[in-house]
Amino acid sequence: MSTVTEAEPSFDRQATGSRLDWQRMLPWGLLALLMAAMLGLQSQLYIGQERTVTAIFMFVALAQAWNVIGGFTGYACFGQVVFFGIGGYATAVTMVHWHLSFWLALPLSGVGAALFGAVIGLPLLRLKGHYFAIATLGVAEGMREVVTNVPALTGGGAGITVPTVGEDATTAYLGNDGFYLLFLGIAALSLVVALVISRNRFGFALRAIHQDEDAAGAMGINTTRAKVLAFSISGMLTGLVGACYAFQQVVIFPDRLFDVELTVLMVVMVVIGGSGTVLGPLLGAVGLQYLSEYLRHSYTEAHTFILGAIIIVAVVFLPQGFVNYVREARRSGDYSLLANVRRYRL
Amino acid sequence: MSTPPVLETRGLTRRFGGLEAVADVSFSVPQGEILGVIGPNGAGKSTFINLVTGHVKPSSGTVLVHGKDMTGAKPWTLAQARVARTFQIVKPFRGMTVRENVAVGVLYGPNHAVTMARALVRADEVLDDVGLEGARDRGPAELSTADARRLELAKALALDPELLLLDEVMAGLRDNEIQPGLDLIRRLRDRGLTILVVEHVMKAIREVSDRVLVIHQGRVLTSGEPDEVLSDPRVIEAYLGKRYAERHEGESGA
Repeated sequence: MSTVTEAEPSFDRQATGSRLDWQRMLPWGLLALLMAAMLGLQSQLYIGQERTVTAIFMFVALAQAWNVIGGFTGYACFGQVVFFGIGGYATAVTMVHWHLSFWLALPLSGVGAALFGAVIGLPLLRLKGHYFAIATLGVAEGMREVVTNVPALTGGGAGITVPTVGEDATTAYLGNDGFYLLFLGIAALSLVVALVISRNRFGFALRAIHQDEDAAGAMGINTTRAKVLAFSISGMLTGLVGACYAFQQVVIFPDRLFDVELTVLMVVMVVIGGSGTVLGPLLGAVGLQYLSEYLRHSYTEAHTFILGAIIIVAVVFLPQGFVNYVREARRSGDYSLLANVRRYRL
Repeated sequence: MSTPPVLETRGLTRRFGGLEAVADVSFSVPQGEILGVIGPNGAGKSTFINLVTGHVKPSSGTVLVHGKDMTGAKPWTLAQARVARTFQIVKPFRGMTVRENVAVGVLYGPNHAVTMARALVRADEVLDDVGLEGARDRGPAELSTADARRLELAKALALDPELLLLDEVMAGLRDNEIQPGLDLIRRLRDRGLTILVVEHVMKAIREVSDRVLVIHQGRVLTSGEPDEVLSDPRVIEAYLGKRYAERHEGESGA
């Protein structure tokens, strides 16, 4: 059929040099090193510090999860907390009513959140920009009402208690060290997923969709499938975090598990760190969560005011996020923040 | 049985509300032909390409590629069926290098089973082909207008197309930049590609097309040999208005 002979791919040239291999392996090496350091850290910390670090791990996972759909794919999801709530309630409900072990409830919650992502993603991912953001926000708010209004299953507004002690306990409570390791594991998983996506062909598809969906389609990318898959992966990671959170909190309420503030935190962490990168959301989550804890201790009265001011300044001067700013500044040799503001002026 | 044309449309129509942007367009492009498509602004040329590549759904009519019904197929289905296109307003993937931009097409096109390393090698070959080898590690934002058009073309060629739809790839180029573009189009045809060129630059159309199709107000006005079509009074009238056409006629008749 095809008479195109010259254009047939010839794959004899070597594309990878040693420099490229080294560059490819570096983030993995750093990640392994970081994990090894974190694995020993919990025995060195006071209980309060250990809880703070555990919370940081949780936000690292949440930020990285949001980054998959909001950063790489460019679909800013303002209802991401719906996956967190679904994951948490799936774990609580299956542990209470089905007497499942937490270790079975956890993957089930992840699968449940992923499926939910696929089901709402198919219609919602046809929307773009603000329309998508508002629609997902609506889904999260709606889901909170649904969960509140089926008390027989979810305990309703009065909350549901995960069985963690006595005869009913299907899995013994993990304790501070246990949850430290659990959230460390989830954070590591989210980082691995983000690293894989940032480098493989699927990541190319997501970045292409982010830039221009028509052009991505013209390049052979099944944009519907790629977007729904990205949303599912993002939802699964968020659902897993929600499941761990429910187990850690023991008693969960719809207002907390579907709290829009959680979504806002994910978005802010990713945007300030640098969306669409792996390092950005990691730095954003660690930096913001640490700063928030520090301010809470040092300035009990005004800590949210100061944190808010810092976020505003960061967004004004680094609209593209810290990591992207450093990347461009190094390439262009121009570190001026004012020049940066000018470059990204609206 | 003779081989079916690479592209054939039958009664292709697209309405936007009360406006018929493309109305009852029927024609075919045989293997290896360069078909020039011209028409004044708003004639429906870009909509026509969008209808063929699945970016806009037809209201009625049929699109056949190699005789196979592809009406309303998704853009990625057509890309994998070796139908490639460029966009009138270039659509590079910012945040990727020029080389990666092209590699996306290799990774997701008809030969999509390739590895990332091989896709990058193939991308380099395509960049050599269009004369962008020096810019492979640059970002699309750093390219000149002419190079941005080359990248747009390279992305389409990454799909190893059999049918190439070029939507005003010469627009905004200087005269000395147009000639290499025309040479490249002819070189691609010599390899067996079938090419549909939508263009405003008449010099380019006259020089490169085997046949010219004129679209006016969504309908086929005429088609035929470039010289014959471009001197057709109806075509001149469509472009420049009735009065100019009459004067032109009077002068050439005198």
